[in-house]
Amino acid sequence: MSHFFAAISLILAGGLLSLVFARHHLFSRAGATLLISAGCAWGLGAAVTTLMGSVTHSVSFQYLNLFFLAFEMDALSAFFLAVIFLVCLMAAVYSFHYTQDAAAPVKTAVTAFFFSILVVSMALVLTAANIITFMLSWEIMSLSSFFLVIHDYRKKENRYAGYLYFVFSHVGAMFIFAGFGIFYKYTGSFGFTDVHILTQGAKILAFVLFFIGFGSKAGVFPFHVWLPHAHPAAPSHISAVMSGVMIKTGIYGILRIYSLLELPAPAFGYLVVAAGVVSGILGVVYALGQTDIKRLLAYSSVENIGIILIGMGLGMVGVASRNPVMAVLGFSGALFHVLNHALFKSLLFMGAGMVVHQTGTRSMDALGGLLKSMKITGFAFIIGSLAICGLPPFNGFAGEFVVYLGGFQGIALDKIPFAVSVAAIIGLAVIGGLALACFTRVLGIVFQGEPRTEAARNRTESGTTMLWAMGGLGGACVIIGVFPGWFFNLSLSAVSALNLGYARIPQAPFAQITGHITLGAFVIVLLVLGMAGVRSWFYRAKPISRSGTWGCGFTRPTSRMQYTGASYAFEMVRFFRPAAPIEEQHPPVAGRFPASTRYESRVHDIAERCMAPGVIRPVQFLFDRLRWIQHGDIHLYIGYILLAIVLLLFFI
Amino acid sequence: MFESIVLWLAAVLTAPFFSAVILKVKAFFGGKKGPPLLINYYTLIKLFKKGSVYSVSTTAVFKMGPVISCATALAALLFLPMAGQMPVISFNGDVILVLYLLGLGRFFTIAAAMDTASPFEGMGAAREAFFPIICEAAMFMILIFFYRLTGELSFAAYFSGTGTLGLWQIAGPSLLFIVIAFFIILVTETSRVPVDDPATHLELTMIHEVMVLDHSGPDFALIELGSFCKLFFYAAILSGLILPFETGIPGAGLLVFIAGLVIVYLVVGIIESTIARYRMDKVPQFVLTSFALAFFATIITLELIQ
Repeated sequence: MSHFFAAISLILAGGLLSLVFARHHLFSRAGATLLISAGCAWGLGAAVTTLMGSVTHSVSFQYLNLFFLAFEMDALSAFFLAVIFLVCLMAAVYSFHYTQDAAAPVKTAVTAFFFSILVVSMALVLTAANIITFMLSWEIMSLSSFFLVIHDYRKKENRYAGYLYFVFSHVGAMFIFAGFGIFYKYTGSFGFTDVHILTQGAKILAFVLFFIGFGSKAGVFPFHVWLPHAHPAAPSHISAVMSGVMIKTGIYGILRIYSLLELPAPAFGYLVVAAGVVSGILGVVYALGQTDIKRLLAYSSVENIGIILIGMGLGMVGVASRNPVMAVLGFSGALFHVLNHALFKSLLFMGAGMVVHQTGTRSMDALGGLLKSMKITGFAFIIGSLAICGLPPFNGFAGEFVVYLGGFQGIALDKIPFAVSVAAIIGLAVIGGLALACFTRVLGIVFQGEPRTEAARNRTESGTTMLWAMGGLGGACVIIGVFPGWFFNLSLSAVSALNLGYARIPQAPFAQITGHITLGAFVIVLLVLGMAGVRSWFYRAKPISRSGTWGCGFTRPTSRMQYTGASYAFEMVRFFRPAAPIEEQHPPVAGRFPASTRYESRVHDIAERCMAPGVIRPVQFLFDRLRWIQHGDIHLYIGYILLAIVLLLFFI
Repeated sequence: MFESIVLWLAAVLTAPFFSAVILKVKAFFGGKKGPPLLINYYTLIKLFKKGSVYSVSTTAVFKMGPVISCATALAALLFLPMAGQMPVISFNGDVILVLYLLGLGRFFTIAAAMDTASPFEGMGAAREAFFPIICEAAMFMILIFFYRLTGELSFAAYFSGTGTLGLWQIAGPSLLFIVIAFFIILVTETSRVPVDDPATHLELTMIHEVMVLDHSGPDFALIELGSFCKLFFYAAILSGLILPFETGIPGAGLLVFIAGLVIVYLVVGIIESTIARYRMDKVPQFVLTSFALAFFATIITLELIQ
C-alpha cells in the first residue's frame, strides 16, 4: 500500500507544481507531465504486482473518532487500478504537446491540476474500503471531472454539457447514497464487511439503487444522456481518460456491490444483460447518427459499456444457475473488455484529438483525406477502429470472444437463462456489425477520400509525445490481440476476488482459449503476409500509373460529391427509427432550374428526447409547488433546522 | 492433416470453376451457349498479367483491401471441414473466429472503397456495411441452434464425419429451415440475385461490384479469387448440410460433397436466371427472413430435445 500512496502523492505533486509555476508555461507542463506519468507508472507497477501476487493490502486512518478512512487493495481493485494508471500515463504523455498552445498558460495549468486530482480520486474510489471514503472520493472524482468538462467555459454548449453532467452525477450519487443508507441501516457500521447480513429484499432494492447510481456514471442507457455532451467538451486527453477509464468506475462499483451482497439472484443477471443489450445496440446506432467525431466516440463508449454489462450479466446468470464455467467466462470476458476498451477508446480519442487540434473542426463532414498527410495518426486510428469492431487479430476480438463463449454456455440452460443468453449473443452480433459500419464510416469520411473543405486540406500531424502515446496504445492493442494469455490471466485473478465461492479458478482451460486466439491471429497474419508476397510478386516490373478515380463517365467530379457520413448511415439508422428518429429539413425543389438548396438531418437520442417531458417537467412542476418553503427569510430557515432536529429526536 | 491441406488447396483452386457453373446455368436459361467452364481461370490469368492504374485519391489502405479480403476468405476455408474430413485447423469457438475473420475482410473491402472518394463506391460501401449486420445475427442464431443440438462450437463438430447425419436424425424438420436460412445468407454475403446482381451494368444499383470499380490488374484478381473462395465456403457448408451421407467407401465422400456443391451452384444459377433482384429497401426484410427461420428452428428444437 505504501507504493500506492507514494504514487498518488507523486501525481498530486505534479498537479500542484503545474499550478504553482503556471506562468512558466514550459516548466509547468514538463513538470506536470513528468511527475504525473512517473506516478502513474509507479502505481501501475504496484497494481500489477498486487494482481499477480493476489494479496490484499489494507490500511486505515482515523480522524477525531468520526472520520474514518479505510483503504484496501484486492485483486479486483488492482485490476481496475492497473487499467486506470496505464491509460492516464498515456494521457499525461499525450498532454505535453497537446497543451503546448501558450495563449492560455494558466488554463493549461488548471487543467493539469484537475487532471491529477481526477486520477488520484479515481484511484481512491477503487481502493475505498468504507462508505465515507468511497463517497468522499466519488464526489471528488465527479467534481474534478466537472471542472475539466467546463474547461472551455466560454462556449455555451460546454457550459450546458457541464451543467448536465453536474446534475446527472449528483442525482446518480444520491442513488448511491440511498443504497449505502440501506447498508448502514442493517449493518450499523460504515464498513463493507457485514453487508451480506442484509435481508434478501433489502439486497435486491440496494442492488437496483446502486445499479442506477453507478449506471449513470458508466453511461448505461437511459442514464447516458450526459455522456455524449460532457465527454467531447473536455480536452481530448481528458476525453480519453473520461471515456476510457472514468466510466469504468461505475462498472467497478456494480461489480463490487455484487460481490459484497453475496446474493446469487438470477434477476440481477437478467437486469444487467438487458441493460447491456439495450445500451450496446442503441449506443452504436446513435454513434452512427453523429456528425461530431468526439460525440460519436462518446456514444460508442455507451456501446462498449453495453458489451461489458452483457459479459457481467452472463457471469451473474452463470453464478445463479450454478454453471461456474459460464460465470468465470462472463465475468473475465467483461473485465478483459474493460482493459481493451480503455486502450482502444483512449487511442481513438487521442487520434480524434489530433485531428481536431490540426483542423480546428469536429464536424466529420468537413474533413476527409487526412490519412495522406497524417500517416501515424491515421494508421493508429485504423488499429483503434479494427480493435473496437472486435476484429481479429486485435484486442477487441479477444475480449468479445470470451464473452461469446460465456454466452454459448448459457444456451445449454433452460427457460429464462436460455432466452437471456440468446439475447446476449444476438445482441453482441448486432453490436459487432453496427460497430463495423460505424467505424468504417468514421475512417472513410475523416481519413480517406478527398478533403471536403479547406479545413482538412494539407494538415500535417505534429507533437512528438502525442504520436508516442498513440503508438504505445496501438502497439498494446496489437500485442494483446495476438498474445492475450498473460493479460487475460490478470482479469482471471480479478474474477477470483469477486467472492463467487469458487475456491481456485484453474488457469489451464483458459490458457487454451487464449492459445486459440493466438493461433487464429497467427493464421490470419501469415496468410495476409503470404498474399502480400503474392501480390508484390505479380507486380514486379509491371507498369503502374496514377490517374483520377473512375467517375462512372462523369468527367468533372468534385470532392463535395463524395458520400457523406449522414448518407452512409441513413439506411442503417432508419432501420432503428422507433428508437432513433431522424429529423430531416430541406425545402422542396421548385422550378425547372432550381437554385441552390440545403439539406439537414439529425438523429435524435430517444432518452434525451423523453427526458424533458418525462422527467424535467414533472420535477419542475413539483418544485414550483414547493417554492413557498424557500423565501429568503433567515429566521424561518433556522426554524426549519430546529424543527428537523426535534423531529429527528423522536425517531432516534 | 495432410489430406485436409490437400483439400484446402483443391478448394482454393477449384472455386473459380464452380462459379463458372452459375454462368453456364444462366446462359442455358437465356438460350445461349455461354462462356467455357474455365472462363474464370482465363480471367484471373489475364488480370494477373496486367499492370494497374491507381487513383490519386487512394492511399496504402486501397492496396491492403484486396490482400486482406482474399486472405480472410482463404483463412475461412482453413476452418471448414470438406467432404466429411477434418478441417486443417479446428478448436472450440472457431466458428466465431471465422465469422469475425470474414468481418475483417469486409472492413478492408469497405475501407478500400471509401479510399477512392467516389460517391458510387461510398454508396456500395454503405450497403455492404448494412446487409451483413442482419446476416451476422442470423448466423449466430444458426450457431445457437447447432450448439443446442451438439453442445459444440466448431465447424468440425457439425460437418465432419457423421456429425451432420446426426443433426438430421435429431432435428430433421427444423434443419430444413436452417438450410433455407443459410441459403439466404449465402445469397446476401456473396452478393448474388436477389440481393445484388453481379451482372448489372448500372453503378447506382450495385453493391459489391461498385466497391471494386477502381481496382485493376492483380489487385482485382485477388478480389475475384477472394469472392470465389467466399462463395465456395458458404456453398461447402450447404453441401454438407443437404447431403450428409457417410458411405464409408473411400472417395465416395468426396463425390457426394462435389455433388452437393454442384447442386448449390445450380440452384444459385437457377434463381439468378428466374427472378429479378429486389428493390434495395426490400432487401433487409428478405435477409431478416433468414433470422426468423433460424429463430423458429431453434424454438422448435427446444421442444424436440427436452
